[in-house]
Amino acid sequence: MVFFALLVSVAFACAGSRSIQTRIKYALWCFLLFLAIGVGIAWLMYPLSR
Amino acid sequence: MATDDSLPTSGVKQNPATPAFIAMAAWIVPGLGHLLLRRWARALGFFLATAGLALTGLALRGEVFSSHSQDPFGALGFLADLGSGIFYFVSRIFETAGPDISQASGDYGTRFIAASGIVNLLGVIDAFGIARGRRD
Repeated sequence: MVFFALLVSVAFACAGSRSIQTRIKYALWCFLLFLAIGVGIAWLMYPLSR
Repeated sequence: MATDDSLPTSGVKQNPATPAFIAMAAWIVPGLGHLLLRRWARALGFFLATAGLALTGLALRGEVFSSHSQDPFGALGFLADLGSGIFYFVSRIFETAGPDISQASGDYGTRFIAASGIVNLLGVIDAFGIARGRRD
């Protein structure tokens, strides 16, 4: 999940018109959101697995 | 020193076939469209992202859908996989063992391969927009 989030965040940051610094911040933000939402959804689905 | 996005794209009369050529190049080889437009950072980023996803998906023995799928999900998977351009055709040549459906890694691999196609299509759209002068 971490590797997937990293690669997709890099791709998202490459699209669009931004400065290099803004892109790095955007990639980092996307990466953290991917992880947070992924873990969050996993915990939400946890009761269903029991 | 000129930055990656400082090259002018407006005010220049261009061949209308050029954006289509750039889009086709961006599809067939991830990052090539941006490379032709001299957007070095974007070219490298899209290439690494697409290649990383595709090769990881192949290493996990994900399924590479063919055009002869029997169901709509297979057809959608084919379209997504095809988006990765040359990586799709290479994977069809080297995928001799078939997908690993006995473990979860095979499922993850399938998602990685599909995501590589979608990411490359994002790159195609970005390159096409830059070539048309609609984006920086």
